[in-house]
Amino acid sequence: MAKPTARKPKKKVCLFCQEKISYVDYKDTALLRKFISDRGKIRARRVTGNCTQHQRDVASAIKNAREMALLPYTSATR
Amino acid sequence: MRRYELMIILDPTLEERVVTPQLEQFLEVVRKDGGSVEKIDVWGRRRLAYDIEKKSEGIYAVVDLNAEPGTVKELDRQLGLNEAVLRTKLMRPERH
Repeated sequence: MAKPTARKPKKKVCLFCQEKISYVDYKDTALLRKFISDRGKIRARRVTGNCTQHQRDVASAIKNAREMALLPYTSATR
Repeated sequence: MRRYELMIILDPTLEERVVTPQLEQFLEVVRKDGGSVEKIDVWGRRRLAYDIEKKSEGIYAVVDLNAEPGTVKELDRQLGLNEAVLRTKLMRPERH
C-alpha cells in the first residue's frame, strides 16, 4: 500500500549548469562560500543540488582556496 | 609555451611599495627564458583564513604568464626558497 501523498521534493538544478559556468575559479571566494557550511565544511550534493561534475569542480576549487588561506579548513569550534 | 596562473602570498611585514619590484625580480627568470608575463594583479593585504608562519595577514598577488614548464618549475622553486614568500600556488587555468 503506497502512502497517500508521496512528497515530491523540489528538483534542484545545478547552479553552474544553469549559469553555464564551465570553470569554477578557486579565487572567487564569494561564490565558494555558498557551498560551505558555517563550520567550513563542504556542502553535500544533496544540499547544493549540483550535478556530479560541478560538485567535483566546486570541491576541488574549495580545497585549492583552503590551501591559499582564502577559505578556512575549520571555523571556530562553536 | 604554456599558460600559467601563479598566486603568491607574501610576508605582510613587507612594505607596499616594494611589492611590485619584488615580484618583478621573481619574474625575471621567466622573461630571461623567453616567456612572457601577461598580467600582475596585486590584491594587497588580506586576512588569512588561518595563520601561516604565525602571521594572520598576507599580501596576495596573482600573476598570469606564458612560459615553458621547466622555467615555471624553476620560478616556483626560487619562490619557495625566498623568506618573504609565505605560500605559492601554480595552476594551469583551463580553457574558458
